[in-house]
Amino acid sequence: MSKVNPLFFALGIPVLVIVILMAIVIPRFAGGGKFTDLSPFPVDDYRKDWATLQGNAYRFDCQIEKQLAYEEGKGRVLAVKPTDVARGTGRVPVFVPLAAGETFEVGQRFKCKVRVVRDLLVVEDLERF
Amino acid sequence: MRTLLSSFLGSVAFAALAFAQAPQPGATVSGGGGGDYRSSTGEAMGDRLFDVNSDSVDMENGSMQWKGKTFNLGNSRAMRMRFERYLASPAAGGDMTKYIATLTQIEKILGPNAVNQNNIYASQQAAFDLLFVAAEHEVDGNNCLTIATQVKKIWAMRAEFRDLNITKNQLEALRKTQEGIVVNRAERMEEANDSKANSPTTANGGKTGLTKTSQGQTELGYRVKDEQRTQAEILAKNAEMTALGLKAQVEFQSQMVGFLLARRYRHCLITSAFYRVLFKGGNQNIKVGAKEVKEFFPVSDFVPTLESVDTLAREAMNDVTTGMRTVDDLYKQGELYGAFERLQETYFLGEFEPAVMMYDQAKKREMLDLWRDLRELQRLGDERDLANVEGYVNKVRGRARDFPGAAILSRVNNAINASNMAVLSAKQAALSGDTAKAEASLERATKIWPQNPAVKQFADQVVSRQDKLSQMVPEFDRMIAEARWREVFNKKLEFALALAQDKARSDKLREVINRVGELDANIQKASVLASQNNPYLAWDVIVEISRKEGDDLVLAKTRSDIAPLVADYARLIGQAEKLEREGGEAAALTAWMAAQDLNPASPACGAAVKRLAALVAKSGAAKAATTTPVPAAGDDVPVPAGK
Repeated sequence: MSKVNPLFFALGIPVLVIVILMAIVIPRFAGGGKFTDLSPFPVDDYRKDWATLQGNAYRFDCQIEKQLAYEEGKGRVLAVKPTDVARGTGRVPVFVPLAAGETFEVGQRFKCKVRVVRDLLVVEDLERF
Repeated sequence: MRTLLSSFLGSVAFAALAFAQAPQPGATVSGGGGGDYRSSTGEAMGDRLFDVNSDSVDMENGSMQWKGKTFNLGNSRAMRMRFERYLASPAAGGDMTKYIATLTQIEKILGPNAVNQNNIYASQQAAFDLLFVAAEHEVDGNNCLTIATQVKKIWAMRAEFRDLNITKNQLEALRKTQEGIVVNRAERMEEANDSKANSPTTANGGKTGLTKTSQGQTELGYRVKDEQRTQAEILAKNAEMTALGLKAQVEFQSQMVGFLLARRYRHCLITSAFYRVLFKGGNQNIKVGAKEVKEFFPVSDFVPTLESVDTLAREAMNDVTTGMRTVDDLYKQGELYGAFERLQETYFLGEFEPAVMMYDQAKKREMLDLWRDLRELQRLGDERDLANVEGYVNKVRGRARDFPGAAILSRVNNAINASNMAVLSAKQAALSGDTAKAEASLERATKIWPQNPAVKQFADQVVSRQDKLSQMVPEFDRMIAEARWREVFNKKLEFALALAQDKARSDKLREVINRVGELDANIQKASVLASQNNPYLAWDVIVEISRKEGDDLVLAKTRSDIAPLVADYARLIGQAEKLEREGGEAAALTAWMAAQDLNPASPACGAAVKRLAALVAKSGAAKAATTTPVPAAGDDVPVPAGK
């Protein structure tokens, strides 16, 4: 029985670990975060015809521009602008239900899972980045 | 002259004074053709131009002031005509130098240095003869003959005086004789009485023989009566001589003062010189015209003498000479108006002076033309024909560059403005239905400027108002019913006049005017914003006013002018409004935000975003509830392969 070179293990195990870690981390740093599995939100399409996007959920990377309204016990309407200008520019309003429980300040950036509910963009989940 | 100018300026500037509510203090108005509309303003103007203490001619009263005293020159019309005739007449003919030399010669012959006890009668005769030589000249006007006549009369009086004196002497001699007879008869009577008293008495104590008790008394009485008659005749002759002397003095002095007041100064001097040699030293004081002569010398206790009269005459002659020199100098400097003024004064001070009479006809002719223009200007002022005054002032200025026309024009313009303002006031009063005030204002405007075209225009408007009223009311109602605000606005003045008495329609008209006025202001605002490269804000204004006045043509034109500049913005706003109407508040909010990105300063966008955001915040929770908390996995849009 041939003996495996211990050097193989000494180098192989770390490399394997590194590969596994990269497989986990790189997709996150590539922009998707925990919503990597969702398509980016098409801002221009939404503006042109929101009806075609009704019911869909998207990943929306955005930056807080301004809080437009806040309704006690219900949530708030934020004006955000997409960080990925390839899908569209300009500000859009999003509704963040109270359940989101986040504190929002102007200039903060978030990765959001948004759903098009009729004409309204509702933030279902989000994380800062 | 001061009063003439005052009158003239006062006339021209009449209107400025006439519309004053209260009469001007010091203003006097004399009617008639003279047209003396003097006023304090005119006086002030005159005073500024002429020193009131200097010589001046009052054309209205026909008098001239010289050294503060007045010469009466006859009535004003005759005075004006005389001056005009002088300006139009050729220079006096004849040998003026010889004439003046003759008069000077007479003065010299009678001068105090030339006359003495030995030649007094010869001098009188020589001067007397020269009077006839001087009288041959046309310019003398035979005044030297008048003097000669006067002198001759004095000589005759003197002969008469001598005769009286002889008679008086003869009477005195007779009286002496009569007195001697009376004394003689009285002595004889005394002697007879004495002898009777000393005669012897009889035994029984009586007188011897019969004797007269008063012998010669009757004769003595007659003799005394004769002597008294002679005495009375002497006294009568004395009185006659005194009266004759006084008469001679008075007549001569009257003639002398008459020459002075008639401004024939050289004749006055010659008369004075004759007087001096004809009368004794005790009779040299002035008896006739003493009061008039004293007025020229404001000194108390002044005693008028022949020398006073001489001084006045010589001073006047000097003034005339200086005046004519000034006239000529002003003329040469092109100051025709000043020359004219001075000539007028000088003429009335010494119209019979050779320097005045010999003045060049061509120059006088120019001044005559100026005089006629001034008269015409005065006439225009009298008639308050303000519109034509400026033309005439400029014409006079063309002739005389020193003519003070600016002040006249200023007053005329003030009067025109005042008249126009009164017409405006009348219009406003008429519009508000205050007929009494309108009438008063119109009357004031007419009084200031009778020919004001605005007055006629207003009168025409009033006349045609009733006709228009019957046409305008239905037209107004129709336009209001059809919401043609712009057309109503464009005819607002006509409607305002026609509907002045109709309160309901007037209120409606006012409302329309305000409405269109506000619309025009907004249109103007939008145009200005667009021109300042701010079309989005301009569009906001247009959109806002279009909500109320969408049918206005001017607004539509402005909108079409601005629309190409803001096509994307307009599209977004249109889209937002449409989405909101369809219930898509969130989509509408998105569109408004996009529009706001284009026009961040837009108040309309800001308001819409705020309003819709609040709506979305309220309704968002309900919408979200339909999907949260567990959205269907199948609704998620998966990442396409390769992403």
